[in-house]
Amino acid sequence: MMQDLVLTPTEFVALVNQTFEAAYPLVVIEGELSNFRVSKNRWIYFDLQDEQASVKFFGTVYNLPGPLEDGLTVNVVGYPRLHPRFGFSVNIQSIAPVGEGSIKKAADLLKAKLQAEGLFDPARKRSLPPVPQTIGLVTAANSAAYSDFIKILNERWGGVEIQLADVYVQGQQAPLQIVRAIEHFNELPKLPDLLVITRGGGSAEDLASFSDERVVRAVSASRIPTLVAVGHEIDVSLAELAADQRASTPSNAAQMAVPSRSEVIGQLHNLRLGLSSQLAQDFSQAGSELSQDKKYLTSQVNLYIKDLRSDITATRKLVRVFDPLTALKRGYAIVSRRGRHLSSIKGIKLGDRLDIRLSDGALGAKVEEI
Amino acid sequence: MAQSKKTKTYQQMAEQLAELIDWFESDKVNLDEAVTKYAQAMELLEQMENHLKTAENKIKKISAKFDE
Repeated sequence: MMQDLVLTPTEFVALVNQTFEAAYPLVVIEGELSNFRVSKNRWIYFDLQDEQASVKFFGTVYNLPGPLEDGLTVNVVGYPRLHPRFGFSVNIQSIAPVGEGSIKKAADLLKAKLQAEGLFDPARKRSLPPVPQTIGLVTAANSAAYSDFIKILNERWGGVEIQLADVYVQGQQAPLQIVRAIEHFNELPKLPDLLVITRGGGSAEDLASFSDERVVRAVSASRIPTLVAVGHEIDVSLAELAADQRASTPSNAAQMAVPSRSEVIGQLHNLRLGLSSQLAQDFSQAGSELSQDKKYLTSQVNLYIKDLRSDITATRKLVRVFDPLTALKRGYAIVSRRGRHLSSIKGIKLGDRLDIRLSDGALGAKVEEI
Repeated sequence: MAQSKKTKTYQQMAEQLAELIDWFESDKVNLDEAVTKYAQAMELLEQMENHLKTAENKIKKISAKFDE
């Protein structure tokens, strides 16, 4: 009988904790947050309450999905413990706001905090690689988001290596799994060209992991450019705000990640036409340059020939001036004695016989007077 | 040579093509060179188009667990 057993306080605490461990290894409690406080930037304390009861909770800041405040409804996963000095509390394993109002309120608190830190600053946004060769994909392998992304990717483009990190995209394990997957890709020796983080639509609770502070910070810290698509067009998670680019849906993420094969083939055809006409133009330009060269050369040669001709005419005229026949025609005569032309009367004697040449014939004559 | 052609990625081919196009768009056009480069560009375009029509995406699931 238990009543017969006398325990020390230490033994009693150990016994109660053993019982808790066996009976309630993990409990999930949902209630209104009150007396929330953070101590030494490390420990968190709060109570969860309803109309009748209030339960104490204890954990570390690493369990927090983001800043919280009293009045929010939260869902806490933890295990009950009796502390040897401080009494009963539930040790927190994870904590998440529940209900649209609380989720929105918590997201607004976190958004304001991260905005003040500049995490959503447009200047931090990097552009995505035009044609990624490797994509790190963070999503649930059995989800519609995964199938949609891969389907559109395959339709649009080929030759990409997709490395899939299969993670929970909702529930209490999701935030840390997503964070570890992002870190995994960022620690690879060869980084993927692009990191795509995606999930399909769901309730505010389903999507809450993507507004978790740890996830948002991991997205923002990624060395690899990030493309985040969560839920439908109208859902905007904080991870999307921190990402380099946001897509509205998983299919839209695939459209943004790679170009369209058919569009690019069209562009290649245009390039082919452009290059062919460029080459043809180069040839025709070279051809017209050649024909201009030919014209120029011909005209130069003609000019030269003309010059030569006029030179010849001038020379011919000059030659004509010196032609003795020309002089003979003008009335001059060539007088010679014994075959020698005379230009002086010296040595001429009376009675010498002279030959006189005129323009149209020759005469013989005798000297009668000197 | 044929081997290295096969291992060229689409991006590498696209970069090579961009260089050739830049050359054609510049002033210094030498006809002999233009013919050679034109042939290179046509071959690249062919390879790129083939790549686009035939290349398939590969999916590797990472075996690492992200629980702890």
